[in-house]
Amino acid sequence: MLILTPVIILLLNALLLLIIRITRPNFRHIWLIAAIGSLLAIAGVFLWRIDFPQIYQLPAWQPEAIFRTSPAWIADGLSWPYALALTVLSAAVVWTAVVRIEPNPMAWAGAFLLSALGILAVAAENPLTLVLVWAAIDLAELITMIRSTNGESQTEGVIVAFSARLAGTALVLWAGMHSIAAGISMDFTSVPAEVGLWLLIASGLRLGILPLHLPYQQETTVRRGFGTSLRLVAAASSLALLARISPSAIDTPLTSILTLLVAVGAVYTGWMWLRASDELTGRPFWVLGMASLAIAASLRANPIGSVAWGSALILGGGILFLYSARQRVLLWLLALGLLGVSALPFTATASGWHSGSTTLGLLMLPYLPAHALLLAGCIRHALHPGETSFESQQRWIQIPYLFGLALLIGPLIMLGIWGWSGAELIGIWWVALLTLGLAAGLVVLADRMQVRGGAAGSGGRWADILRLNWLYRFLWAGFRLISRASNVITNTLEGDGGILWSLVVLVLLLTLFSSGFH
Amino acid sequence: MSAPLVWILFPMLLGVILIFVRNERWAAFVGSSLAFLLALAAWVLPIEATFTLGARIFKLTETFDVLGRQLVLTATDQPLLALIYISLCFWFAASATLKVAQRLVPLGLIITGLVVAALAVEPFLYAALLIEIAVLLATPLLLAPDQRPGRGLIRFLIFQTMAMPFILFSGWLLAGIEADPGNLALVLRAGILLGLGFLFLLGIFPFHTWIPLLTREAMPYAIGFVLWMFTTSALLFGAGFVDRYTWLRTTPALVNILTLAGTLMVASGGLLAAFQNHLGRMLGYAVIVEIGFSLLALSLGGAAGIDLFFLLLIPRMLALGIWAMSLSILKELAPTLTFSAVKGVGRAWPFAVAGIILAQLSLAGFPMLASFPTHQAVWEGLAQSSPGPALWVLLGCAGLIVGAIRSLAALMAAPEGTAWGIRETWPQRIFLVAGWLLLVGLGNFPQWTIPLLARLPGYFEHLGF
Repeated sequence: MLILTPVIILLLNALLLLIIRITRPNFRHIWLIAAIGSLLAIAGVFLWRIDFPQIYQLPAWQPEAIFRTSPAWIADGLSWPYALALTVLSAAVVWTAVVRIEPNPMAWAGAFLLSALGILAVAAENPLTLVLVWAAIDLAELITMIRSTNGESQTEGVIVAFSARLAGTALVLWAGMHSIAAGISMDFTSVPAEVGLWLLIASGLRLGILPLHLPYQQETTVRRGFGTSLRLVAAASSLALLARISPSAIDTPLTSILTLLVAVGAVYTGWMWLRASDELTGRPFWVLGMASLAIAASLRANPIGSVAWGSALILGGGILFLYSARQRVLLWLLALGLLGVSALPFTATASGWHSGSTTLGLLMLPYLPAHALLLAGCIRHALHPGETSFESQQRWIQIPYLFGLALLIGPLIMLGIWGWSGAELIGIWWVALLTLGLAAGLVVLADRMQVRGGAAGSGGRWADILRLNWLYRFLWAGFRLISRASNVITNTLEGDGGILWSLVVLVLLLTLFSSGFH
Repeated sequence: MSAPLVWILFPMLLGVILIFVRNERWAAFVGSSLAFLLALAAWVLPIEATFTLGARIFKLTETFDVLGRQLVLTATDQPLLALIYISLCFWFAASATLKVAQRLVPLGLIITGLVVAALAVEPFLYAALLIEIAVLLATPLLLAPDQRPGRGLIRFLIFQTMAMPFILFSGWLLAGIEADPGNLALVLRAGILLGLGFLFLLGIFPFHTWIPLLTREAMPYAIGFVLWMFTTSALLFGAGFVDRYTWLRTTPALVNILTLAGTLMVASGGLLAAFQNHLGRMLGYAVIVEIGFSLLALSLGGAAGIDLFFLLLIPRMLALGIWAMSLSILKELAPTLTFSAVKGVGRAWPFAVAGIILAQLSLAGFPMLASFPTHQAVWEGLAQSSPGPALWVLLGCAGLIVGAIRSLAALMAAPEGTAWGIRETWPQRIFLVAGWLLLVGLGNFPQWTIPLLARLPGYFEHLGF
């Protein structure tokens, strides 16, 4: 039951904010309630470590003869880092909100709700639980985004994103059926060899990497606080699956091809992140780039590495996206955050470059420039002036704001030492040094060449090719072709001669299938 | 007093009386209250045993003689009666918010009475006649007073009427088979006739065309009710045939035929739904998919198959009800319900639009919604026995989801600057929100339906054992 403690605290906090907002719209201490509630939720995640690992199962679905699995959650070394990252992210959203113009309790409630769902996703003990929580997150995102978009093209982007996520969910269901057809009831501890790859593709599809797609061409009105939660929670919920796939389940001939495909996406998104006009515009690329590194770690049979990159995506990204009031003296905070993403020894990502597979070690090479581009982007965006200046804020605002940023930095440092079994790792330190050096060079080069892009949706012909827009256009043309064929069938069967045509089709079908029955 | 009098003749009589009630709310209130009381009575009152009500002692007998035939309702039928009447209560209660109660309630009560009579009549064969009468009575429900009958309604009548002689004739042959079970020629003829009868009755591909045609023409709420009532009764009637005749139950080809028909229904319904540009037709194709799922559940055989067959009923009723209600609300604004007519209405009618999308996603087996647990169990059962059809079934469901996404895209495609608003009335909002909550609740806790469904498999004497 300890597993549900942070979830319940977050949900109660969200409910309380909602009730206060409705009953007493001018209540002055609403921020304080949200801030205290968020800290309690973090404490709830630390409570997990009292009894580690532990499983909590909902009342079994009945009849049990039909429903073999029921929703259940597990608190272990793989789910804990993600749960911690998500809880501190929601807390940081509230604590750093003091520097933003209008307090928005509804956005905080939304961030709490999303974090609660995110924790339920990362702690899912079986695929059934995961798809249930994914569905909840997808619907929550769909509703929020539709509410906040304006105009047909933006709405279309939201629906495309929802469709891609659904396709990922459907792949997990298909993997489950495939597993059952092979005589194994799928759970995370027993994934048949060929099914593991399906799960990995499902995760990649939900993240927008396999194949590369970017439905949100531009960020909408939900930007800093709630927007950050929305983007990062959705990513974390999909990344959690990677950590659960056992290395043996993805050891197939296709693995090296996928590793290369993901590498192309990683380099492209890293480049786009570097040249984005600011960190919020480039946010989708940060998510895609870091998620590519996490997927690559999984492909190299390094599930802990995927958790490391995933946690760094949330915490490192969170620092940058919530860092809205800026001053040069605060750059050391950002430097600490960057350290967590650098893969240097004893940092959270130190295990990121390890490889459980000897054959795929070389395929790690294309990921080095991708990592360097991501780091360089972080440095560039951290050096921007920001929305407001930190020194112009009042003292009572500066302290909670700094505390909010520290909430993200603390766990990022702590995970490297105490995050999971086998932390305190030196890792492949020379690779980390190499990428850091490369990143420094890229920052200087980008500054000299004045590399600066527009919105996430912009890009030339290469962007069109790399984002596989040609493939989607081809698929769309195929859809329209089949649509016309289906119209012909429908019109024939429903037209004036429809009854006769139905009889003809029946006879045809009987002729076709009767041999099968014999 | 006899049980058929309570659950068949009494509601029919009240239905006739309610034809003369001109007040929408009264009709809905009386109809839903009566349906609730009948469901409660089916749940608590014993049949063929005495019970006291106040100072009086009552006993409900099983049989009721009418025109030389018998209507028989036993204790094993009671869970089914409770399910039918509690569903009816929901349909009637929500109808008050849509201005259809005046037509739906009286005719709905009479149709339900006839359907229950079809499930209770002895000899069993006469059920086909009773269903045919119910079909004819559904005509005024599906046709507005000033509306000319369209192609869908005519085809509905033709196909349902064509089903009747085939079933009656096969029944006549079945009596012969019981006397001479070794006569294979007779068995084959009876099997073919029975198969043809149910092809027409259930609207199995390629005789499904009346369903999308009708959902395009008729008032959505009325057609939702009719489709739910007739598909449920036809499926129960068909399963009753299999239950009753040993030769049919033990025919090895039966599983193949059910799997083939079910897969065809799910795949064709789902894939054709993906390309529709009409919200009403989308509902029709979803019903086709659902009929397919019921056939697939039966094809799985054993206790699990029958359990799944019944478990599908409540989520289906719920989703159909919400979907039909939401469409009826939108039809007031856009009578044609084509994508071009409803473009962007989601900003003014968010509750109805959410109802349409959630109901469609639920029937497609979207996780977290009511139909997901049972659909997933059917997929798994099918994957174990026949992976090929399982893939087609998954594709069919994917088609239905594509349809839902296209509907969503059309409904939300408002021009830039369009303001949000809520035009649904308060009662409509309450019913729709309650429906969403139930869809989500049943999707996460399918065991909630167990108290109602646990005794239902007892309705069949042999199936599932």
